[in-house]
Amino acid sequence: MFKATSAFIFTVLFFYVSSVWGSCVIDDREREVCSNAPVTRIAALSPGATELAFAAGAGSKVVTVVSFSDYPPAAQEIESVGSPSRLDLERLLALKPDLILAWGTGNPSEQISTLLRLGMRVFYVEPHSFSSIAQDIRDIAQLAGTEASGDVAASAFLKGISDLKTQYSQKPKIRTFYQVWDEPLMTMNGQHYINQVVELCGGINVFSKSPRLIPRLNKEAVLIENPEVIVAGGMGERNAHWLEGWRAFPELMATKQDNLFFVPPSLLQRPTPRLLEGAKILCEKLDLARSRRG
Amino acid sequence: MMLSAELLALDLPNRNQPPLSFVMNPGEIWGILGPNGVGKTTLLHTLANLRNKRSGEILLNGQNLLDCQRLFIAQNMGVLFQEHQDGFPATVLETVLLGRFPHNTSSWHKDSEEDIALATLALKQLELEALASRPLSQLSGGERQRTAIAALLFQAPKVWLVDEPSNHLDLHHQVAVMKMLSQQALQNKLVVMTLHDVNLATKWCSHVMLLYPDRPALMGKTEQLLTVENLEPLYQQRLAQGKINDQLVFLPSV
Amino acid sequence: MNIKLSHNSILLLMLLLAIVVVVFSLSQGSVALTVSEVALALQSEGTYLAQTLIWELRVPRVMAAFATGALLSLAGALMQILLRNPLADPYVLGISGGASVMVLGAILLGLSGVLLSGAAFIGAVISTLLVFGLSQRTGQTTPIRLLLTGVVIAAGWGACITLMLAVAPPQKIPGMLFWLMGDLSYAHTPWLAWVTLLAAMGVIMPFAKSLNVLSRGPLQAAALGVNVTLVERLVFVLASLMTAVAVTTAGSVGFVGLVVPHMMRLILGNDQRVILPAAALAGGCLVTFADTIARTVIAPEQLPVGVMTALLGVPTFLFLLRKGRM
Repeated sequence: MFKATSAFIFTVLFFYVSSVWGSCVIDDREREVCSNAPVTRIAALSPGATELAFAAGAGSKVVTVVSFSDYPPAAQEIESVGSPSRLDLERLLALKPDLILAWGTGNPSEQISTLLRLGMRVFYVEPHSFSSIAQDIRDIAQLAGTEASGDVAASAFLKGISDLKTQYSQKPKIRTFYQVWDEPLMTMNGQHYINQVVELCGGINVFSKSPRLIPRLNKEAVLIENPEVIVAGGMGERNAHWLEGWRAFPELMATKQDNLFFVPPSLLQRPTPRLLEGAKILCEKLDLARSRRG
Repeated sequence: MMLSAELLALDLPNRNQPPLSFVMNPGEIWGILGPNGVGKTTLLHTLANLRNKRSGEILLNGQNLLDCQRLFIAQNMGVLFQEHQDGFPATVLETVLLGRFPHNTSSWHKDSEEDIALATLALKQLELEALASRPLSQLSGGERQRTAIAALLFQAPKVWLVDEPSNHLDLHHQVAVMKMLSQQALQNKLVVMTLHDVNLATKWCSHVMLLYPDRPALMGKTEQLLTVENLEPLYQQRLAQGKINDQLVFLPSV
Repeated sequence: MNIKLSHNSILLLMLLLAIVVVVFSLSQGSVALTVSEVALALQSEGTYLAQTLIWELRVPRVMAAFATGALLSLAGALMQILLRNPLADPYVLGISGGASVMVLGAILLGLSGVLLSGAAFIGAVISTLLVFGLSQRTGQTTPIRLLLTGVVIAAGWGACITLMLAVAPPQKIPGMLFWLMGDLSYAHTPWLAWVTLLAAMGVIMPFAKSLNVLSRGPLQAAALGVNVTLVERLVFVLASLMTAVAVTTAGSVGFVGLVVPHMMRLILGNDQRVILPAAALAGGCLVTFADTIARTVIAPEQLPVGVMTALLGVPTFLFLLRKGRM
């Protein structure tokens, strides 16, 4: 009897829930994005958005990506709609996506407004902190009906970050220069999420006070700051030659102590769960530098 | 049509010239003579209201030129320029057809059979009919000059202001052009031309104006003014005078 | 020899060509639609997707492309008459450079929409005044002075543009690059361009014959009864306005304003009554065709249209120059 009753209740509940299934989330531009059924066709318009969608467990629902979407490897098999800065809207519309993960600063605003005008469901993805990376994963998962996988991924990411924080953030501070680009020489200021990674590892970004998000520098500025560590990305995942230039300045503290480190740029320069991996490497490098102090 | 000036002072850079007063009547051919840079071309352009004057008045048939519409002036007065701007491609016929612009400015007006016939006649008079479809860029200097004169002929002004009509022309065409201009005068048109060749003036002009850089201009009948005494100070050059076939001739004596 | 056909039949032929190009352009895209699908969609029938592709993407873009080409080409043709120089062009003379600098400045200040168009117009006018004013000495403008002034001013704008790009926040750079490259993928509404184009044609065509005379020099034109000051001011304002609108629609697409009117003169002679409408039609065709190729040739990657106008125009122009009547 009880069994039958509970089966009945469950059945009713199930139909009730599925009939009103509907959820709303807030995107990175504070817009409400709603869906009354799990989305099934996702267009990810930045390499980072693709990674977030896969992390949210919605990888199988991604029907299109953009150029340079190289992670996870499965993303490379998905049809592309061209460069993120000049989208092939025809192809995009022909793929009939029901959720578009837009890149506010990378996609042309005119093209995104065309999509909005056509009534497309657009979710802006541009996380600026660890927590917003996790939140984006949860939001995408919620829209795609994959809350469980999304929650696992988001929690694992936050847990990893907080572990690193416990382990490294209280260690002796170490003055660090992170090189975003080589020619022209670029870094990032305190507003940028990479700065949060540096601080997480107990480093101090020597240009955190710079007024511009991505300041352009000359070498003199770096020599005057005399950082103890120089960390560089590069053009490719293994290409560390940007660091070689600093060897010309043997008096520079970072050179003197051989603290010239390479971190693969895709691990640090994309705000995705892989940031955790990049952060681990960076923290280990900074710790290595600490061990080289006299 | 009568062209007259009262105390006309030209706007010449850094120079003051005594003002000019004159009356030029239909049927007359005026030659303006003077040394280089004295303001012959400036005078012509000022008379056509293409340049500002310093003071004085110019009257076209008694009407102040400043009160005349530009189009009205163009319908009655035609100018031959010394220099031509040929930056854009055009054929001889197209260039001549432009001469009719003052009489029909509408863009929708098509060149009629009659226009083409008249333009062809003008070309024929200057022996250009074989060149009608030739681009300007392929013309010799003399052919270009004759094209401009043909355009002026097609414009059919009552007052002709021609700047050095004999420029670039060989002797045969010099004579042909001068004959054509005197025909215009016979048809009661007024012809005013600047000349650097005194002997063309003695042969073709009924009146001359001698523009001196430093003293008042002389104006009057050709045979009265064209004397060695008047011309030597004009050109700062010693001259010899002679007669060939009853025509007065001046030559520099060196 | 070249003008056997009457003006009207030449223009009629070009109009037909323009229609063919527009239809071709509508039928091409990175999504293949059959002719019947396109025809159905144009009558607002057929699948929803085909209708969306045609009405929301292709029609506005093709219209914007055509109007941009026509505006630039017409502005170039007028500029050439105004400056009595077949080498004049909104791009070479720095007019579109001025418009770009003002637009980039406006973007940096966070302006958008109509204000950008206004900024482009002011930039175009300032630049034209600068070039025109600085190249004059004692009231006369020699072609070489003018061209040199224009080239130097264009270089000056180039430096300003580089400076602005250098100090711009990274998130604004893609939007700024769009203005510089000449790109129709962001073109929003073609209406401003079309209204400007039709109005400019309506205003300038009655003066076409005066422009023929003006092309023989201002003195000659005045002697033939043209109100030179009035016509020159009119041409000046129209050319700046058209350049500005073209720049706000598609960024600074180079090359069209210089080459299309020139091509038309090589083929058709120098009668502005034919050249002006012919240049507008041909410019429209060139940019429309170039943009069709730009958005399909390596789809899904999209190319800026400026690349294609140059790639198509340069060889055609060189060919005509060798064959033509210059």
